[in-house]
Amino acid sequence: MSDPSEQSSEPFGEEFLQRLEYLRMVAQKMAAGQFRARRRTETVGSGIDFADHRSYNPGDAVKNIDWRVYRRSEKLFVKQYEEQQDLHVYFLVDTSRSMHLGDAAKWHLARDTAAALAYIALSNLDRVSIVPFSSAVTGRLAPTRGRSQIFKIFDFLGGIEPGGETSTADAFGTFVRENKRPGLAVVISDFYDPEGFEKGLDVLRYHRFEPMVIQLFDRREFSVSITGDVQLVDCETGSARRMVSTPSVGAELKAAFEQFSENLENYCTRHQMLYFQAPVQQSFEDLVLDVFRAGGFLD
Amino acid sequence: MSFTGLPISTIAWAAAFAAVAITVLYLLRLRRRRVEVPFSPLWAQVASRRMQSDRRRLLRRILSWLLHLTIAALLLFAALGPHFDEEIVDERHVLILVDNSASMAATDVSGAHDRFELARDEAIELLGTIGGDDRVMVATFNDEVQPLGTFVDDPSLLKPALADQRWTANPADLNQALRFAADSLRDRQPAELVVISDGAGVDDTASLDVDFGDETTVRHRKVGESSENVAITAFEARRYPANRLDHQVFLQLHSYFDRPVDVTLQILADDTPVENESLRLEPGEPHRQFYPELAAAGERLEARLRLDTDDARDVFPLDDRAFATIPPPQRLDVQLVSSGNLYLEGPLLIGTHIELETVHPDDYDPGAEFDVTIFDGVDAEPPDTGDVLYFAPHRDSSPFDIAGEDNEPIVTDVLEDHPLVRWVQLDDLNIARTTTFDAAVGDTAVVESFGQPIIIARETDDRRKAAVGFDVRDSDFPLRVGFPVFLLNAMDWFADDDDELQPGYPTGTTWSIPVDDGADSATITDPDDRRHTAAVHDGQALFYGELPGFHTVETDRESITVAANLADPAESDITPQQLEFDDVDVEQDTDELIFDRRQVWMGLLFAALALLMIEWITFNRRWTV
Repeated sequence: MSDPSEQSSEPFGEEFLQRLEYLRMVAQKMAAGQFRARRRTETVGSGIDFADHRSYNPGDAVKNIDWRVYRRSEKLFVKQYEEQQDLHVYFLVDTSRSMHLGDAAKWHLARDTAAALAYIALSNLDRVSIVPFSSAVTGRLAPTRGRSQIFKIFDFLGGIEPGGETSTADAFGTFVRENKRPGLAVVISDFYDPEGFEKGLDVLRYHRFEPMVIQLFDRREFSVSITGDVQLVDCETGSARRMVSTPSVGAELKAAFEQFSENLENYCTRHQMLYFQAPVQQSFEDLVLDVFRAGGFLD
Repeated sequence: MSFTGLPISTIAWAAAFAAVAITVLYLLRLRRRRVEVPFSPLWAQVASRRMQSDRRRLLRRILSWLLHLTIAALLLFAALGPHFDEEIVDERHVLILVDNSASMAATDVSGAHDRFELARDEAIELLGTIGGDDRVMVATFNDEVQPLGTFVDDPSLLKPALADQRWTANPADLNQALRFAADSLRDRQPAELVVISDGAGVDDTASLDVDFGDETTVRHRKVGESSENVAITAFEARRYPANRLDHQVFLQLHSYFDRPVDVTLQILADDTPVENESLRLEPGEPHRQFYPELAAAGERLEARLRLDTDDARDVFPLDDRAFATIPPPQRLDVQLVSSGNLYLEGPLLIGTHIELETVHPDDYDPGAEFDVTIFDGVDAEPPDTGDVLYFAPHRDSSPFDIAGEDNEPIVTDVLEDHPLVRWVQLDDLNIARTTTFDAAVGDTAVVESFGQPIIIARETDDRRKAAVGFDVRDSDFPLRVGFPVFLLNAMDWFADDDDELQPGYPTGTTWSIPVDDGADSATITDPDDRRHTAAVHDGQALFYGELPGFHTVETDRESITVAANLADPAESDITPQQLEFDDVDVEQDTDELIFDRRQVWMGLLFAALALLMIEWITFNRRWTV
């Protein structure tokens, strides 16, 4: 496995591509044993396979009313059918300043993970779109398909300019307005959103996206070497507050972070979202394999 | 409270500057380091748990600031040199008198070998605590005062000289030492006089009229704990007059115990024991011991006293030994000018130190050199040298004026203290006839008959002459036991060989030791084998002796031995006593001995240091920020 610290600003070279190919083969083996080779979205709509009934609403097509049910229950229900579509995989990659703090290790891991998962998704004939965000969507790679498009993704990811505050609610609101077709929304972020991560993820859920949460963090953030009276400045908002730092602050900070992460995980569990957590000290290969092992990406 | 440091105005300015500087620096220190964090809400959770109330934080910050100000205040206060009012902080002249008299050799102290060593150590310790503004002088005293230097502000200069001092065998003259102190301190006020002494023999100091000055504090550090001592306070010896091979010895012993003690007295002649006697000494009473015929050969006598009582300890060994010398009998070459007189020849022949030569009047040569010439009724020219004794002198050749003749004179007056007639009884002397003399100026009529001298003596610068007015064969004098004594007395007088008891020289005095006239100086070797050169004036070598024991006095032509003894009952009384004066208070409490100045500034410095440590710890542990 590669050392995350070795990740440079020229991340997508030949060696990186070889590592992605290796990951793809591993992913295919895992999928062959446990999952289907292809994944499709399963939506109810105008397909031919019956899916379910629902109450009739004004405006529904009369032809879809199930008269047999009406005869038995004297209530109007309309038939719903499964509509199978190509899977859209959206990679919502956090580009805010908190991801670039220090040696930008979180951003590097987010970028490489997005690239790796995108490569596998492209190999799986899914449509892949890259959406960087901070307080807003700062760009968009239109959904693309086919493994050969990976270089396009590389170029896009390599060209992202980091910065800005994190506001998942605003950014994901923009995202859902611009992307009408639901799909798998892989959110790669540290989720350091002052307004809370729930609003943003709720936006995705409410618009029928399937969020998959990948939370990145840096253990060095808890190794506080500075003691004494310090002025804490938020790298995104610039807000400052005073605090006395002591050697025990690191442990307290770690506890606070664990509480924060536990809240995020509980939220994801409660809403049936896949949740992954990875420190930047972990390689993106390990993280990708963890995702596959959980079966959340290819099933 | 008084201050001896920097001026208060200077300190006030420094305090103002320090207060401003500390405040500014403290505010600068409060400026926080800027730390960029990825997500401040996480830190806010931590900070909210750690945040104290604003009032508490403010209080702690003020406390830290106050700590700094307090530290600065302590340092500045220390720089003022504060002293308590009861302390003397002005420049003082300090005189330390250390007793090194004989009684300080007593070993009744703990922490040192003897009293003087303890006193010396305490003096050195005092020197180590002298204040920086003080001037100090140290002097030792016995019967003389010996300053070890002038007043100096660096006590370390005095320590080597003081360390070289030792006790002497001299008596103490505290009065002289106190007068010296008064003269030294009277014009150097304020002053401190510290007397470190056992106080032995200070009975007469109470009425001592000395003026130390109004601002002089007199302190006495008494050393010594015991008075238990046995001593030889007198030791005298002489040759036995009738037998010059024997000695007569007189001893006086003192016991300063409060109970009877047993002692052993030993006498040695030239290091050979000749007498050993056990005695019981009663407390307080002098014990006199006389040995009339001590058979001993030797010229050096030594007496030693040893305490035998088991539960008693003699703490003063210096007076347990005494010394005496007996000069060797002077050899005399005597010529008897006589036609034959066995009465005269007999006694002279028994004198072991007399070399007698009988000369017939016809063979008499005035130029012959004899120490003594005796004319037995011979009319002859006096000899050119030597002393002369005439019997029945002739008018023409007699050096004494002859008044006339007297038949059957009666001896009416005898000058009993004259060496010629010592131990001689002449009251009922029968004389058939005699010549009487006219005593000239300078002549001494030794024996008279109704005012007419019949035995006369003359002493000039270099010669002695005596005349007996009658022929011994015309009297019953030769039949008396006093006759040979008279002749030997005459020989001893001529030889200047006195049979008085020889007491020896007392230590602590200047000795006048007779030596040969021609010497300009003499070399004296003391009992410690140290050699001293003594000047000789008029045949007397002058030497200040400090050690008991035998001293050898050497000139170009002779070498003699003299003895020196402490032999002072007052100095052997080593009972420690407090110094007391009628008009001057004497501080006796050693706990308040001088120089124990409380160094307030040092305490302030340590307090500031402690506060600095507290501030450092509390700041680094973030208790005061």
